[in-house]
Amino acid sequence: MLWVDKYRPKTLDKVIVHEDVAQNLKKLVTEQDCPHLLFYGPSGSGKKTLIMALLRQMFGPSTDKVKVENKTWKVDAGSRTIDVELTTLSSSHHVEMNPANAGFQDRYVVQEIIKEMAKNRPIDTKGKKGFKVLVLNEVDKLSREAQHSLRRTMEKYSASCRLILCCNSSSKVTEAVRSRCLNIRISAPAEDKIVKVLEFIGKKEGLQLPSGFAARIAEKSNRSLRRAILLLETCRVQQYPFTHNQAIPPMDWEEYVSEIASDIMKEQSPKRLFQVRGKLYELLSNCIPPEIILKRLLKELLRKLDSELKHEVSYWAAYYEHRMRLGQKAIFHLEAFVAKFMSIYKSFLIATFG
Amino acid sequence: MGRGKRNATLVISSSDDEDFLVKSSSKPASVPRTNYKKRPKKAALSNSCPRSRTQSKISDFDEARLFLTAFIKRFCEELDSGTTRFKVSTGCGSSKDLWVDKHKPHSLEELSVHKKKVEEVKTLFEESLITSKGKSSNHVILIVGPAGVGKSVTVHAVASHLGAIVYEWNTPTPTIWHEHLHNSGSGLRYMSKLDEFEHFVERIRKYGLILSSLVGGSRTSVILLIDDLPLVHGKAACGRLKRCLNLLVQSVCVPTAILITDYGKADSTDYTMHYWEEIQLSLQDAGACKVSFNPITVNSMKKALSRICKAEQREVSAEQIELIAKASGGDIRNAITSLQYFCLKPHQGPSLSSYDGISPCVKEGSDEMVHFFSGPSLSFGRDDTISLFHALGKFLHNKRDPDNPTAADRDSIVLKEKFLRLPLKMDAPEIILCQAHGQTRPIVDFLHENVLDFISEEAIDDAWVVQSYLSDSDLLLASLNRVLCRNYEAENSVQSAAASVAVRGTLFGNAHQVPSRWHAVRRPKLWEIEKSLWRNKHQMANERCVTSLTMHDHTVNVTEFKPMLKWIGYRTPKNSGAYEASSDDMVEDELERLVLTKEDTSEDEIEDW
Repeated sequence: MLWVDKYRPKTLDKVIVHEDVAQNLKKLVTEQDCPHLLFYGPSGSGKKTLIMALLRQMFGPSTDKVKVENKTWKVDAGSRTIDVELTTLSSSHHVEMNPANAGFQDRYVVQEIIKEMAKNRPIDTKGKKGFKVLVLNEVDKLSREAQHSLRRTMEKYSASCRLILCCNSSSKVTEAVRSRCLNIRISAPAEDKIVKVLEFIGKKEGLQLPSGFAARIAEKSNRSLRRAILLLETCRVQQYPFTHNQAIPPMDWEEYVSEIASDIMKEQSPKRLFQVRGKLYELLSNCIPPEIILKRLLKELLRKLDSELKHEVSYWAAYYEHRMRLGQKAIFHLEAFVAKFMSIYKSFLIATFG
Repeated sequence: MGRGKRNATLVISSSDDEDFLVKSSSKPASVPRTNYKKRPKKAALSNSCPRSRTQSKISDFDEARLFLTAFIKRFCEELDSGTTRFKVSTGCGSSKDLWVDKHKPHSLEELSVHKKKVEEVKTLFEESLITSKGKSSNHVILIVGPAGVGKSVTVHAVASHLGAIVYEWNTPTPTIWHEHLHNSGSGLRYMSKLDEFEHFVERIRKYGLILSSLVGGSRTSVILLIDDLPLVHGKAACGRLKRCLNLLVQSVCVPTAILITDYGKADSTDYTMHYWEEIQLSLQDAGACKVSFNPITVNSMKKALSRICKAEQREVSAEQIELIAKASGGDIRNAITSLQYFCLKPHQGPSLSSYDGISPCVKEGSDEMVHFFSGPSLSFGRDDTISLFHALGKFLHNKRDPDNPTAADRDSIVLKEKFLRLPLKMDAPEIILCQAHGQTRPIVDFLHENVLDFISEEAIDDAWVVQSYLSDSDLLLASLNRVLCRNYEAENSVQSAAASVAVRGTLFGNAHQVPSRWHAVRRPKLWEIEKSLWRNKHQMANERCVTSLTMHDHTVNVTEFKPMLKWIGYRTPKNSGAYEASSDDMVEDELERLVLTKEDTSEDEIEDW
């Protein structure tokens, strides 16, 4: 098992990073009925961990027994039936899923599963009717329609079903949904907190961490706890005992993007553009989301760029990122951005050096 | 002409028989029409209807198509019965008949088809007629050829030469979707055209052709003609048809001719064509003899046309006949219709001279020909289509006329230097798009894949302009997918707008192209990438899900876990195989279909035109 999973705190008491939030959540669940919750914050900040711990707090250890299912729902949509396939993770008390994976049929999924859950609601030990929890990931990626239908179902079935929503940015969740939930912001953990966690893991694993090593990893991790732990484990595999100035391995796709960036800086021609396209294809076929490629590429390019051009380049990156989201095939827009950059950079070079 | 009016009412109401009853009953017509009115209705009721509900996007197209066929069929039936009854009273008589039907060749000598081919068909039929009692295996002849080269006529003529009766399988009238909905309440079972055809084949195999309608069927020999194979969509239907035809080939005991119209262009982007090819191949494997007909030569066409002119006592000059023959592109049916149309014209003199002026350019090739027909003077002949690769070549090579710069735009607004382009040395891009009848998406993909080869090494700005236009057209195309578009008209116009933006953008942007040299047009790599993307995505989602017992969103999976796992060298347990495989299959199937349609187009290459 990966350390990320192994040292994931199981209960709210054991949480290191967001202790205050955890304590508040504990109070909330033990004292009264739980409202719908919306967790938001950057990736690797511990949202999912908190949610799992919270579920355990609510229902006890039985939530650990989960099963993975690939379910197909038959959804009746007016004149025809649609088959929607989705992977779910469920225990006797909760169901977790990524409705955004269903594409534009997401709204049917949300409605359908909530209805299904409402139909067979469990009866808890005290004899009163209990509720199930539906954990929805990536709510910010849901379509407007789906969020709208979510709003309706949230109210209608609130007696039998609690929703825990989880997303990176709450701005993409509609007002209506946000106002029906208790919003909990999970910020990215500070670096000293990350260092604390890394040291904790080091102690548990019986590792000797040289001073400053954990801090270096924390710095590299971009304040993402998940990445920090993964990096630590990678370093452990690569070289142990740790040395003071051990190289921390970079992500392979990030390396690749910076390679593309230096390619672009070296030569600006249609032929080079074609080669860049080949590399972009490589990234895309490895499922790296195009938005992330573009973001990373921009970062790499800006690092090497004269500050005079930064504004213009960022403008075009934003422009093509927008189009990429509207459009269908990302490569068209990625490539257009690269071409635009080449064109800007080349004319800049000519203007400067003649 | 009361009859004509009546027909008009029928046209309006033909989609609804109930309605028709009400309307027509008010007419004073004394002819009992129940005898022919009931028939189409019955036929229509029992037949096909759009496919299953899940594919309702396709079925809307089907609906339109079915409606059209039903409409035309019924219209023709009504027209037939109308004209035959009132032949005397209207006085138009036979002169109003279509020449195509009137001058249908009845003997082998009259056929314009190449003698060898006719001979081939004849001997094959003779052989199988002689041996039809025995257990000879070869009874099926597969006749393939472009439209209007006389496939069915040949079969009929050969049959009459051999003294055999032709028994034809008629495609039943399709059911309209609304009709199906209406009928579903009344307990009528739905049968698709394919079902019907299967039943028919079953019957032929089991009982042969002993039918009550054939008087003295035991005496005369019979030739079975299957002219109209059911149209198939999708792999499953194609497979069914193939199996069905194979059975037919193996077990039929009467000489049988199966006609397949070959739409020619192997590089057509329309994937239904591939099914026809598959069916042809499987038929040949099963033991059918294939005879392929070529387009009719100009000379034999001229002969046939002048024979008709003589029979009709019309004065048409040899030049005109030649022109018509050439314009028809080897399609004799079309040529005869054109001839008839041409003879209708009241003023032959002046229009003739105008053809003469242009006629040399007809020889130059299909694209000029289209130009010629789009002119105001002449409106017959078949517009020849051009292949997708030809069109792409035109767009990519971007030939311009250096001799008369800005000649075309002199009267229009004064443009800045950087927007000025030399006039194009081709038709308007939209016309070429129409001729290439490609779908927009593949055209855009092809342009995207190949355009960089055609841009000069120095001109990165041009590359950007082209890319930005391609990005625009992708945006337009995407707008279709987001909304489940039910308005096909709107969809069409968005499609053509997208194609137009892409093509014109490519033409405009590529201002400094490389001097033309030989280029191979590559097939878009994008398709492969998309395919592998899907596969990887599914695989990854399943693997990760099983190992970690929590769900992560896809991004995290890919950008953080996967690279790390690679470093760590951690192997995930492979216990997720079961559903992994199933989901993979599905994706693959879907993509395979996509890829299949393009597969053999990729091998084509264009040279410098």
